[in-house]
Order: sequence, then C-alpha cells, then structure tokens
Amino acid sequence: MCAIVDANVAGEIFGSKRTPAGEGFFNWITNGNGKIVVGGKLREELGRSQAFLEWSLDAVQTGRMISLTDDSVHARTAQLQKDAKHRSNDPHILALAQVSGARLLYTNDRRLQNDFKNRDIIGHPEGKIFSTGTNKDDTIHYGKFTQSKKRLLERAKCAR
Amino acid sequence: MSYIDKITVENYRCFYREQTARLAPLTLLVGDNSTGKTSFLALLRCLWDYAFAFQEPDFKLEPFDLGSFDEIAHHRGARGSQASTFTAGFCLNPYRPLITALSKAPFEFRIVFGKQGTIPIPIERHMRGGAYWTRESLEAGKPPNIQIGTSQGSWNIVLPENVKLFSSTFRRPFGISMLIQSFFTGFREEKELEEIFQPISSSPSFQAEDAKALNNLAKILQVVQGDSEPASVGAPVRSKPRRTYDPAKPAPDPEGDYIPMFLANEFSLNREGWNELKAELEKFGEKSGLFNDIVIKRLGQWGSAPFQVQIRKRGQRRKGPYRNLIDMGYGVSQVLPVVTELVRAHQSPLMLLQQPEVHLHPSAQAALGSLCCRIAGSSRQLIVETHSDHLLNRVRMDIRDKTSALKPEDVSILWFERSDLDVRIHSIRIDAEGNIADAPPNYRRFFMDEMRRSLGI
Repeated sequence: MCAIVDANVAGEIFGSKRTPAGEGFFNWITNGNGKIVVGGKLREELGRSQAFLEWSLDAVQTGRMISLTDDSVHARTAQLQKDAKHRSNDPHILALAQVSGARLLYTNDRRLQNDFKNRDIIGHPEGKIFSTGTNKDDTIHYGKFTQSKKRLLERAKCAR
Repeated sequence: MSYIDKITVENYRCFYREQTARLAPLTLLVGDNSTGKTSFLALLRCLWDYAFAFQEPDFKLEPFDLGSFDEIAHHRGARGSQASTFTAGFCLNPYRPLITALSKAPFEFRIVFGKQGTIPIPIERHMRGGAYWTRESLEAGKPPNIQIGTSQGSWNIVLPENVKLFSSTFRRPFGISMLIQSFFTGFREEKELEEIFQPISSSPSFQAEDAKALNNLAKILQVVQGDSEPASVGAPVRSKPRRTYDPAKPAPDPEGDYIPMFLANEFSLNREGWNELKAELEKFGEKSGLFNDIVIKRLGQWGSAPFQVQIRKRGQRRKGPYRNLIDMGYGVSQVLPVVTELVRAHQSPLMLLQQPEVHLHPSAQAALGSLCCRIAGSSRQLIVETHSDHLLNRVRMDIRDKTSALKPEDVSILWFERSDLDVRIHSIRIDAEGNIADAPPNYRRFFMDEMRRSLGI
C-alpha cells in the first residue's frame, strides 16, 4: 500500500496538470488504501509544490504519508552513489525505496524506472512502476487510468 | 508502579459488542462529538477508584454524570433491547518486579455490573494473573460466592463457620487476598482445608502444595492493590477566575476551583514546594508564550488576608507589570488548573483530562502536548480527551525527536468511530519516526475531504 512519488509527476497528482491516472492515484492515497513515503531529498523536491504541502499536512496526521528521517535516507543515498549500480540521477528515490520498503514508484523517468526494476538495486520484492507515459502526443494511452493501473494500486504492498 | 495497558468494555453506553482498547502511559482520545469519549473516561475512573481507592463505582460523580443504570447500559432502541448487565475490565502492565516474578502475564481485572434499583453495581468480579484467577459472584447482603483457580486446579471456597466475615472485606475488590491468607496463617488441618476448598468438576482435591500457589495469588493481589489513590480528573470547563481569593483549605475538584487556594497554601506553608511548582509553571508559561512569571500577592499582613494570583508577561526590554489573573486572557486562567495538576508533586498515578486545550492558542496547545509527553510515564498515566491537532502533532514530533523519555510504544491514540448505533474504538500507534500507524481508512476523513475541497480537486 506504500508508494513513492517522483517530484516530476507531482503536478499530475496534486497540481494543475492532473491526468486521469494522477487523479486515480490521488484518490488512492487520499481516500483509498494507499500511502506514500517521503524522506531525504525527495521531501525537499515535493515540498516545492504548494498543493503537495497542503495535502501532506493532513496526510501525515491521517497516516497516509509516512515521513522517514532524512538522515537514514541520506546515508543510504551515499551508499548507492558509492556502489554506482544505478543509471538515473535519482539515487535518493532508490534509497528511499530501500529504507522504507516501498515498492511502487510513480514516475515517467525511463532511467529511474529501469533502476527501480533492477533487483540488484531494489532487491525483493521487486519494484513496480506506475507511469502515465512519456509521449504526450499519444492521446490514446497518455495519462489514462487503465484497468492495469487500478490493479497495480490494489496490489501494491508496503512493509509499513 | 503499574499502569493500565488495556481496557475492555461491553454493553456500556454506545459500546455494544465486547471490544478492547490499548492504553499507554500517554493515551489520546480523539473522535467526533458524542462518540463516547467522556463515557470512556468515566468508566476508567470508576474501575480505577473501585480497584485501587476502595470506592464504590459511582457513575454520577463529578465531572461525569452518566445517569442511572438505564442510561448507562447499552440500549438499541427497541423494547426489551436494553442490556441487563454491562461489563468492563482492564489489564495492568506487569511493571512491578514482584508481580513479574510471580507471574509474567499481565494482571486482568473485570467487573460485571448489574442493576440495584436504578444504580449500577458490581455483581461479578473476575481477576486473573497468569494461571491464577478468582471469580466472585456478589449478591447484596450475602457473602460472595468465590471460585479460585491455579495451574493445579480450581475450587469453590466454602467458608468455615468460625471465619468472621466483614462485609467491608468483600466490598473491596482485593479483600479476597486477606481471606486467602487468613486460611494459611493459623495452623489448619489438611482435612479442614479440603473442606474449605472444594474442587470444581474434575479438579483434584486441595493439597498442601496448593496452599503455596494460592499464597502467590494473594501476594499478587496485594501488590496490585498497592496503587491506592483515586484517579485525578480535569473537567473540560474550568472555573472562572476571581479578582481576589480568600485563603481556604484546598479541596480538589475537577473544575480546578481549588487551584488558587492550593497555590497560596504552597506559597505560605511549603516554600520549597512552591519554588519548584512556580518554576514548572513558568517553564510552561514561557514555552506556551502565555506568561513568564507567576506570584501570589497577599492583600494584607495576616495569613487570613485575601490574595490574588498575579501573572507577568515580560516585554522585550522591560519586565512590565504583574497583572491579576482575571485581567489576563481567558486561556491563561483556563489552563492554569490543568498545568498545576500536571506538574505538582504527589499526584494520582492516573490522570484523566478532558479537552485541556480549550481557549488556548495553537502554540500553547502544542506546548501542552510537550508537557503531556514530559509528565506521562510508567508512574504517571495520562488519558487525554482532545480535539486539538496541535497537541497531537506535538506529541508525534516529540516522539520522533526524542525530546522526552516517552517511547513510541508509550503513546496510544484511541479513535472513537461511530458506526450506526454503536461506537468502535480503534487503537492507533505512533512509530519511531512520528508517523501515524495502523490508522483505519475513515480516520480523519472529514479533514481529507476539506483539504481536497481547499485544493479544488
């Protein structure tokens, strides 16, 4: 039930660029069984969105946002950078997944998606991706809240 | 010292089916209006005072007035749907070393209440500590029917004719410990003991070694009984401040009417205690931003002269004048009884507070949360009914930042959720990072809906 939201899709969920998939994800973390985890650099990145801040104030009191201490995420990020197995420039997100046990990531960043599915980095259970695609001209698929996305959210598990 | 770590309730007010709530050194009761939080506190007070302060359960004792049995036993509306009994019990954390040595299991205490006239009275008492248990059926004007059990067997106690019974012994929940020990203090023939302890169903007949086990039970009961002060209760409405007070013997009351007299007494008769109390009050005053200094100002030379409670809020450069409590904001006079009760020495091990935050600015509500974290512990259990997010958030953050000795497991949030005719109590945890854990889906639904509306999505 725990997920990580990449800062580059925060607008799709909380802001003005909402897509049907973003709205479905928002409903899942606001009124459904979903939770998101934040901590470390990602907290700062998401905190730049006023709408996210407003959501998080209530979500943290409701238990829908799990906030981890920055130190633990920073330390793991440093370790990942030392191991240099990742290709994306978001080791802080991979570190957050390792520390929190969250295995669902909402991102449209292809490199990060590959890293998140890399068992050498994420370990077990395997990472799952919630994505709205990268090709905005693809009006058939882009941003749709498909059955497979719904199922992905229903099945998402979190150690917390 | 031990504290209550579980409470069980059935057929009481809005609580229908049996349910158990987790209590901790600091327990916060949250939920909508009329979801049974005050009833819960009243029950807790009754159980505690009955078990440890030798007081008959009184559901009408101020500040709670739950009415007669018919208002207290669960009722589902239809004719004949009123419960004829209700049950409540608690579990003590086996903190005391002796209890732990005798029985690793927690100590359980359960009462079944029946109706006598219009009043709820205990008609059954159950106690259990590991393999040891007792069950007493209480009938007005008669000695109780007592059953007792250990890991070796269980017996009905048939009192010998030469045992004098004092009704007061059995009005006390732990009177049974005295009874058990009385059987073994004087020399009794084994045959005599066999007549007193008659085996239940397939239990073996009473043996000499059973006496040792029962003595252990009596010891457990005596140790548990050690906490013998009534619960302290703080009402949601505190008394209005007065311009002057006449010295008088302070008699504690839930509205805190006695607090000025108590402060004046400490000031006059216990200067060392006053200095400590004053320092604690001023510490809270500064952290909450309410005041910096508090003094007792006598309006005459004699001890019998009236006095004022005066407060000073210092300026940045000048200290400024002292002002009468009544001339300060209402929040100051309303929180003073709460804070005094929390910080003063020689307090009850169990303190029940109803909405301590009323009339306070959010920053002062948060400071109150920190104070609760500092005061609550294994020797002082705080149960706080609150509608304050600021207080609750401060508790979360203090746990995360380790600014008090309180650990995550020392805090319990009980959310009272109305569901049709009943109320369900959800036990919610705070984890080491200050996150809310185990929250049910509808927890704070109203706030999430409001936030959603505010975001316009």
